[in-house]
Amino acid sequence: MIRLARLFWLHVVREVLSWSGSWWFIFALAGGQVLPPLIGLAIWKAVFPDSDHISEYYIALIFTVATTASYENHTFSERIYKGTLSEDLVRPQPPILAPLGENTAIRLWIAMFAFPIVLLLAVGTGAEFTAANLLIAFPIWLLTGILRFVFTLCLAMTAFWTERVHAITAFGTTLMYLLGGNAVPVDLLPEGWSALARWSPFYSMVGLPADAAAGISVDVVLNGVVAQVVWLALLCWLGVVLWRRGLMRYTAVGG
Amino acid sequence: MSAPCIEATELSMVYRVRVRETGLGAAVRSLWRPEYKSVQALDSINLRIEAGESVGLIGPNGAGKTTLMKILAGILKPTGGRVRVLGQDPFDRRPEHLRRIALVRGSQPLTSAPELTVMDSLRYQQLVFDLTEPEFRRNMDELVDLLGIGDLLNRQVRVLSLGERMRAGLAMALLYRPALLFLDEPTIGLDVSAAVQTRSFLRQYVARTGATLLLTSHYMTDVAELCPRVVLINRGRAVYDGDLAELTRRVRHDKLIEVWLAPDATMPAGINAASVNGHYELSVARSEVAAVVSRLLADTAVLDLSVKDAPLDVVIDEIYRRSEVETR
Repeated sequence: MIRLARLFWLHVVREVLSWSGSWWFIFALAGGQVLPPLIGLAIWKAVFPDSDHISEYYIALIFTVATTASYENHTFSERIYKGTLSEDLVRPQPPILAPLGENTAIRLWIAMFAFPIVLLLAVGTGAEFTAANLLIAFPIWLLTGILRFVFTLCLAMTAFWTERVHAITAFGTTLMYLLGGNAVPVDLLPEGWSALARWSPFYSMVGLPADAAAGISVDVVLNGVVAQVVWLALLCWLGVVLWRRGLMRYTAVGG
Repeated sequence: MSAPCIEATELSMVYRVRVRETGLGAAVRSLWRPEYKSVQALDSINLRIEAGESVGLIGPNGAGKTTLMKILAGILKPTGGRVRVLGQDPFDRRPEHLRRIALVRGSQPLTSAPELTVMDSLRYQQLVFDLTEPEFRRNMDELVDLLGIGDLLNRQVRVLSLGERMRAGLAMALLYRPALLFLDEPTIGLDVSAAVQTRSFLRQYVARTGATLLLTSHYMTDVAELCPRVVLINRGRAVYDGDLAELTRRVRHDKLIEVWLAPDATMPAGINAASVNGHYELSVARSEVAAVVSRLLADTAVLDLSVKDAPLDVVIDEIYRRSEVETR
């Protein structure tokens, strides 16, 4: 376990260094994560000017989406397309360590750009978060990070079968935006849609930790956590199936 | 008898690929009625390689060499047959097994993060392969010496030339002293000096460590210099397994005689020779070599003369074209 932790940390450091040469690109990625909830904040604040909850929700949401961003459709899929996955397969370590390390490194970089924005917004809007709510939101945010990684990795693994992995991931990202609580806070959706969204994996990957940080009822938080755990278990199972079947299809490059 | 390093029995690999006829109609039809075709990449390959052997896999593009190497390295799972590598099923990819093998691909010799230095990458390898500090130091010093990479250690991977990447990639792959080395086109894209250095290093490494080496290459010089034994694969089948010189003898029954004549001398009548860059070349049946050489020396003013096998590339090209070499 200590060896795995050290290897994971080594991957993170390696990828942080590796991405250090692409900070303009990271800046663009951070912008892509921060802008949609920022626009949401502007719109819904105009609709509900007196609501503190909206400000707190969207500020927490910006933090959440920026620190749980996942790009395995670019990173991991490319390893399948280019055949560099072969190198991971012949190393005595779990092959998931490489994408996990790269994911964490990218998140750290994006967070560096997003933190000042979150702080400025919190100060500018006068948003207040209670310590109790932040404490509740913390483990949910961790689960969100894992869930979003596993979800994107599952989509990325379709690269074993198709060269159109970006189209598949774009569809997943759109659903995440619409049903996750980014375009509209889930409790502002029509009743049926709201219930559907709350039990969808997308809310577990986007809006739930923001709602928990902004303050919602214990029942909603507990239901959300149950949904998170169920979706995480299902996606992990799906990931294992995709990995095993994908490897049977993997031909990499060469004659 | 000791267990072989690699043992493959009736090894087969079939890829299922989607096909369709040309045209818009066929494209639309294929959406709900996809058609597939089976491609036999490997067909009942039998292979036994003992520890310490150096074996070259040769064959034309698409013959199945790389597929075979990937199966043996544990990257692909065969669809038929049985394979054991160092006593294990390679596709299980057990950590203790992976610590004993290395795969070097000439097309991507070094896949480290480009911003890292070579030393960073070697340290990473140390942790991945559980090398103690003394082991790391000893092996690294040896590789630095053999590969001449001392001045590369503190340079970032992204600024290395292809030849330097290959040397650094070999250091990464051999740092943990693998017992079995898979080399896929190790000199592809390298200039002559870098290719010579790479081959020289590999020869020394194998001699020093007793490692088993399995090589694929389209450069026959690589194969001739590194591998006493070759396995010729064509259309997924092993059509020859044995000595490279014997393969040449089976295919070409002639020898090449090169002759340099004195300035005013001419070729004796009845000897057909092609003039090439100031000298003559004759293709002569092996049984007639002695007679033709005697006649040349007796009937004209010869400055220099050499008798050799046909160039290896020409021989292999002929084999690929014929595709009918008998199985040993």
